[in-house]
Amino acid sequence: MTTVKRLVVLALVAAASATVVAQQQQQRQAPADWQRLHQMGLAHRSASDLYATLKKAAGGGKVNPPFAQLPDWSGLWTTAGGGNFFSAGPGGVMPKLTPATAAMVKQGAENEAKGISYDENLSECGPPGYPRWLVIPFMREFIVRPEETWLSSETVNNVRRIYTDGRDHLAVDDRFPTYYGDSIGFWDGNKLVVHTNTLMARSMGRGQPNQSEGMETVEIWNTLDAKTISVDVWLYDPALYTEPWYVNRRYTRVDNADKVLRMNYWHCGENPNNDVYKTPDGSTQYNDFTFTGQKEQGR
Amino acid sequence: MTRRTLITVLGAALFSLAPMLVEAHHSAVMFDDAKEVTVEGVVKEFQYTNPHSWLLVDVTGKDGKVTTWGFEAEGPTTLMRNKVRPSDFKAGTRLTITGHPMKDGRPAALWMKAVRADGVVFNPSGRAPETN
Repeated sequence: MTTVKRLVVLALVAAASATVVAQQQQQRQAPADWQRLHQMGLAHRSASDLYATLKKAAGGGKVNPPFAQLPDWSGLWTTAGGGNFFSAGPGGVMPKLTPATAAMVKQGAENEAKGISYDENLSECGPPGYPRWLVIPFMREFIVRPEETWLSSETVNNVRRIYTDGRDHLAVDDRFPTYYGDSIGFWDGNKLVVHTNTLMARSMGRGQPNQSEGMETVEIWNTLDAKTISVDVWLYDPALYTEPWYVNRRYTRVDNADKVLRMNYWHCGENPNNDVYKTPDGSTQYNDFTFTGQKEQGR
Repeated sequence: MTRRTLITVLGAALFSLAPMLVEAHHSAVMFDDAKEVTVEGVVKEFQYTNPHSWLLVDVTGKDGKVTTWGFEAEGPTTLMRNKVRPSDFKAGTRLTITGHPMKDGRPAALWMKAVRADGVVFNPSGRAPETN
């Protein structure tokens, strides 16, 4: 095969791959929709206010709806991309960050450029937490019941519980921060509307700023088609953002016709060859490898 | 289409795939993504584990000394989706395997591609190695 022919073949393969990416991007949110929903967040001074507006618009929303009225979110799903917490939205609109957050974003980018990276949570199999949960990769399962929906992810075996039985958050004096917060919701037709508060102050991702305990979000989960679920997310955290930020994330149903795929337990100690540590300069390195084989170690 | 145009199209298409990279259990900074290492050897063990899997390969050097290399990949669900199963690499399987080597020189690498002795090619990341 001549060099030119090889290049033609490579170009065709690459173009086909790019077409797949382009098709995925076509499934992404239209910029006008992003602007409209971003403005909706700006029009409400808190997540509670936005949630109350949505609930009123839904006539109070449905709680404990019968199974027949719930969407089919069965099977396995994985992230299909979408907006991020600290990068530009459509049209180059940037989140408005507090000075401290902007400095952390800059520091994270500089460390990344130097190849310095460590994950205080995932590297030790700690929980990703929420809202980081929205952007982590790998498999997910969505268990939808009338009174409660479980949004689970394979990564570190985490589960978000969304209560749709009409309960409220805990009384203010009884609230305590947790990794995934306290999530209550209602159904608006086939859309699941969620309000989350009482989150822990912790990292939002590798090299990214820390959210505060003041972080609250509103989400609207919606089925776009048989293979796509969309979630609109409004993030309110005055320690991070000087005005609310809006992102849209998508999840796609994973082809599992032969049913070989299944979610398994994550434990970083399962295989000692996965043991990493934080280096003095703040980066990631493997501990000593065994490479003697699990069977030889009697495991 | 000229050669330059083809190269431009190829480059643009490959660049468009970059956002598909994902974050995993740990950063990949310990691997040198600018380098590739390819070795021939025999599978010692396929550790099909979360959060990362390891394919251990015994490589015999010119001096006859055997070194066990470890090639790291994602966990079982990612490998299953990319058609890399435990039964594909039973102990004793001969193969040629390519990865991004450790920066510190230890015999380990981020697994990019493997070609078994029977000619079957495996891409554990689901991406063509050239896009990494």
